[in-house]
Amino acid sequence: MTNHWIDVRNADVILVMGGNPAENHPISMKWIAKAKEQGAKLIVVDPRFTRTAAKADIYAPLRSGTDIAFLGGMIKYIIENKLYFREYVANYTNASFLVNPEFKGPGELNGVFSGYDNKGRKYDKKTWAYQLDENGLPKKDLSLKDPNCVFQLLKKHYSRYDIDKVSSITGTPAEKLKEIYDVYGSTGKPDRVGTELYAMGWTQHTVGTQNIRTMAIIQLLLGNMGMAGGGVNALRGESNVQGSTDHGILFHILPGYLPTPKAVWTDLKTYIEKNTPQTKDTRSVNWWSNRGKYITSYLKAVYGNNATKDNDFAYAWLPKLDEGMNCSWLVLFDQMLKDKFEGFFAWGQNPACSGANAGKVRKALARLKWMVNVNLFDNETGSFWKGPGMKTEEIQTEVFQLPAASSVEKEGSITNSGRLAQWRTRAIAPVGESMPDSEIMNELYFRVRKLYKDKGGKFPAPVMNLDWNYGEKDASGKVAKFDIHQVAKEINGYYLEDVYDKKTDPPTLLGKKGDLCASFVHLQADGTTSSGNWLYSQSYTQKEGKIINMMARRGKDDPTGLGMYPGWAWCWPVNRHVLYNRASVDLNGNPWNPQRAVIKWNALKEDPKTKKLGGWEGDVPDGPAPPMADEKTGKYPFIMRAEGVGLIYGPGLADGPFPEHYEALECPLQENPMQPQHRINPTIKLFYGVEGPHQKPAAEGGSLEDIFASCDIRFPFVATTYRVSEHWQTGVLTRHLPWQLEMSPEQFVELSEELAEDLKIKNGDKVIVSSARGRVRAVAMVTRRFKPFKVMDSTVHQVGLPWHFGWQFPEDGSAGDSANLLTPTIGDANTMIPETKAFLVNIEKV
Amino acid sequence: MSNNMIKKAGGFEILNHWVLAISFFILAISGFGFLFHLEQVGSAFGGFNQMRDIHNWSGVVFAVSLFLTMFKYLTVALNFSADDMAWLGKAGGYFSKKAQMPPQDELNAGQKLLYIVVLLLGIAISVTGVIMWLRPEMADVNKWVLFSFLVHNIASDIFVIAIPIHIYLATLANPGTLRIMISGTVPVEWARKRHAKWVQKLGY
Amino acid sequence: MGRMSILVSPELCIGCRGCQTACKEWNQLSGVKTENRGSTENPPDLTPNTFNKIRYVELPSETNMVRWLFVSQRCMHCGDAGCMKICPAPGALFRTDEGAVAFDKDKCVGCKLCVTSCPFNVPRYDEKNKISKCHLCAERIANRLEPACTKTCPTGALRFGERDALLGLAQKAGYAKVYGQADLEGLGAMYAFMDAPKIYGMNENPAIPESVVFWDNVLRPLAYLGLAGAVAASLVHYVAFGPKKIEEGKKDE
Repeated sequence: MTNHWIDVRNADVILVMGGNPAENHPISMKWIAKAKEQGAKLIVVDPRFTRTAAKADIYAPLRSGTDIAFLGGMIKYIIENKLYFREYVANYTNASFLVNPEFKGPGELNGVFSGYDNKGRKYDKKTWAYQLDENGLPKKDLSLKDPNCVFQLLKKHYSRYDIDKVSSITGTPAEKLKEIYDVYGSTGKPDRVGTELYAMGWTQHTVGTQNIRTMAIIQLLLGNMGMAGGGVNALRGESNVQGSTDHGILFHILPGYLPTPKAVWTDLKTYIEKNTPQTKDTRSVNWWSNRGKYITSYLKAVYGNNATKDNDFAYAWLPKLDEGMNCSWLVLFDQMLKDKFEGFFAWGQNPACSGANAGKVRKALARLKWMVNVNLFDNETGSFWKGPGMKTEEIQTEVFQLPAASSVEKEGSITNSGRLAQWRTRAIAPVGESMPDSEIMNELYFRVRKLYKDKGGKFPAPVMNLDWNYGEKDASGKVAKFDIHQVAKEINGYYLEDVYDKKTDPPTLLGKKGDLCASFVHLQADGTTSSGNWLYSQSYTQKEGKIINMMARRGKDDPTGLGMYPGWAWCWPVNRHVLYNRASVDLNGNPWNPQRAVIKWNALKEDPKTKKLGGWEGDVPDGPAPPMADEKTGKYPFIMRAEGVGLIYGPGLADGPFPEHYEALECPLQENPMQPQHRINPTIKLFYGVEGPHQKPAAEGGSLEDIFASCDIRFPFVATTYRVSEHWQTGVLTRHLPWQLEMSPEQFVELSEELAEDLKIKNGDKVIVSSARGRVRAVAMVTRRFKPFKVMDSTVHQVGLPWHFGWQFPEDGSAGDSANLLTPTIGDANTMIPETKAFLVNIEKV
Repeated sequence: MSNNMIKKAGGFEILNHWVLAISFFILAISGFGFLFHLEQVGSAFGGFNQMRDIHNWSGVVFAVSLFLTMFKYLTVALNFSADDMAWLGKAGGYFSKKAQMPPQDELNAGQKLLYIVVLLLGIAISVTGVIMWLRPEMADVNKWVLFSFLVHNIASDIFVIAIPIHIYLATLANPGTLRIMISGTVPVEWARKRHAKWVQKLGY
Repeated sequence: MGRMSILVSPELCIGCRGCQTACKEWNQLSGVKTENRGSTENPPDLTPNTFNKIRYVELPSETNMVRWLFVSQRCMHCGDAGCMKICPAPGALFRTDEGAVAFDKDKCVGCKLCVTSCPFNVPRYDEKNKISKCHLCAERIANRLEPACTKTCPTGALRFGERDALLGLAQKAGYAKVYGQADLEGLGAMYAFMDAPKIYGMNENPAIPESVVFWDNVLRPLAYLGLAGAVAASLVHYVAFGPKKIEEGKKDE
């Protein structure tokens, strides 16, 4: 989230699209209810009339996978009706930037942007660049009239998304579109603000990243970024998924969103060079210019004294990606199926049910020599070898089950969607032989280390040189009692030497050797500081010699009245509750909306240290610099961007600087209604099946598991998967709870009354839902909550089913099996997140 | 048996009436306990839970006992004559110091009436009791139970009015009557005054 | 402390059923085997192990394809409670200091009359034939905690508090008439309805069955009066007329 949960109550309009908070984030509805109580309007856009929709002031259905068309129409509407916040757009976004005149959009080039390489399925982004002036700064036209300025390009790009066109793509009635555009567009006024809440309904598409980008554009046009009650807010589907992302759970990033090194970046200097954005604009803070400090401090945290200036801070020991190497979820299992793996740790996960194309995942597991399943319960992954359709006698995989402690059986921090890291204490001791994950890892580490020591092995240095000081050690040197606080402190980081601020004369002491680091502002690139994750620097700190776990704070004061509660726990970065909050004020530092002032410049406030006049009040600002109007020292508001402003035009993404509508890989339409050449996102990585679109014979790598069926009479209905309040993820936790199972006992499929009538299916009938890849038994839930869509003058039916169930529990198999047996192996062009929200199925009565 | 005594009730009949009477008392007392939440009554029965069982099973005894009376009394009671009507017209002579009463059968008209009332109420209270107890599987069971509850209570109200009067009439109001429940015999002359037709029929 | 109540606001309810689970957790009620019958709603009805549940009501709508309502179903803790009225076992059903209609399974005689007398079809019986229903978390509220369901509710669809204060809250929120405000001497679970109660699947005018009221007002007193009257009448008769004498002159033996 750019903002935070409580902040939703500050909104005037709440757009829920790509998410279903009432069912998947029920607590958030508290803040939505509070906002509504104060007169806010709740808009819900979803293919299905969800429990969130039931609370909406305005609900609109849309066909799965058409969000960009829906929002593209909104952009056109906002521009045409001059609903945008002009001052904000001109000063705080790149709308005024001039782009290379050779840049062309899909309207001109039959569905692709300029620079498309048809064979490589990727773009050469040269023509997407800004025009630079003689000083190397982007050229701007603050009047926004230059035909090559971003604003005009945006206007041109979305001029093709008129309401009728959008309606014919999305299936949303035109009058609903207009109503929503009007209401949401009303937040373009300085004293009105709108927020957007999304989740997997936006991300799990082949255009997932661009779905969110489209909204970011809208929020920038309306001046809703950085504002209380604004932002683009990802609702995280698990209490600590934000934390795990921050700490580098994805293959392409290290903790703190530092890119994973590539093999071609042979030394630390190259790594820093390649990953430090440059700007010649002195008014841009360009925060990532600190990259070198963060990666060096990270290496010091990982390798401690073994990381020295002389050995390039052990950069060589970090794992590297080969050029073009993709270790995303889909590719991992694809490679596993091709015997590229011997072993696999399924740690706190259940890929046999959660993975897209779960049938493929299950087959892949059978190729392993060994698998370790770390979980609270046995699950479909641990027991895959006795699952449906498995030839148990032919499977050689040795499976180890390690019982893990649940979240209430261990201490530690969790970071919620609002980036708030909250410390939790242990409620009860772990049950039976189960252990906290950290202790399991501790055991593993010392055993692996011993194996390296005793038997040697390839490249032992990265393991042997790890700094592993997480508690008291026994005589053998093993950590005997794991202390999670030591981990939290390492993440925060230490001063490894006395660290001085060299910009002052004489240099002033920032921190004493051995102390916990005060904040990432003090981190150094010379190896004198450590930090396991720079974003979390300040989370476990030291004030006047006293160690303070900031995440364990429980202050209940709310000085701004906006629900930020700065004394409650701690949020990254540096306890800033609203990201980009410098955009919530005008050029002079006065809040756009004084009623909801996130920050405010007080020219008379005295800095206690420097005695200088002028300072910010309210939330922790995005940097202490004075407001933009100060021509000498004032800074741009979007400090994470080299440009210093919000990107309406985003030249960094794989699939284009402006989001464009492409159909889902499996869609009921023969052609993309926007243009006939490119039905699907032209930059997604393709997997080749032995039949269907983009097929290859098996001999050439075509796969039996990756079969797609688009615009296929055998699979005529659009399907989507989702979750319900009563279960969680693949249900490994909730299916074992009789209370939860009682409420939602088995796999079901929701379908419209109209479709049910066509198929002669009655409510409660047992049906089989099938896709090109698999079949699932389900109970038909015939409901008015789905309605057929009118798409391009034909009727499109959509159905939906949850993915909480699996064959392994309840033991009688009564729950059915995972809906992911149906979903395809295909991912987003930028993130490779699987497209499980739009695919094609058939339904038959059993 | 002495020559001037006449047998009014046999051993079985005597026993059955005692069974009927005792079960009635148990039912009435426990019933009052339930109606008015009488804690002492409850404890006397060993708690309300046990009292409920006793009430229910006493009801069964009461119903069986009542059923057994029918073999002897049903035909007698249903046989209403002009004399009976006349007897009833004079209210059995209970409100006159010197009444000339028409001759009566083995049961006088009041007794016949009482028997019919007791029989009907008894059937009603037993059937409704069973419905409330067992709540048989049927549509609208709640409505049936509620109806039964109403009938059960109406019947019990009439019972607690009728039975004290019956007892009074069989004891204080008509000295010598209680003998029928003990020895079963009454003096011929006593019987002749009260049940002239019956005595005559027997040939005394 | 005044009478405590729950205020149910279906407009705020998101149907998450946290209340259903929280209730089962606090009261240690087991989950039972169910099946999906083509509805989100489960279990289908209140059971001895289900003290409260959400009913999912789908209605036609003018603006959307459907209007979907979530209505909490539970014991209403009536001010004039039919169950308590008809219950034959003292202490089996009782009113707590906070105004809840609670029960004592040891004292329950298992007659199930309360089932017939409840205007809302709430009481259920467990496998030992003892009453089982929502008791407004009587032990919790006696210890100044709120019931498990309201504690869990994320949106304020279930609120617990002093009855008068809740009424004020509902009125302030613009609900002119609160369901249960006056019915049955005021319900302990009130509903802030936007539309007619029947839209939400509730009785327009909930009442204790007439036969139970008649019994309570007439038949029950009559039992005492009738008995007393019959005994008294006999005594009066005895004094006034004495034992019956038949045909003067002839003697009894």
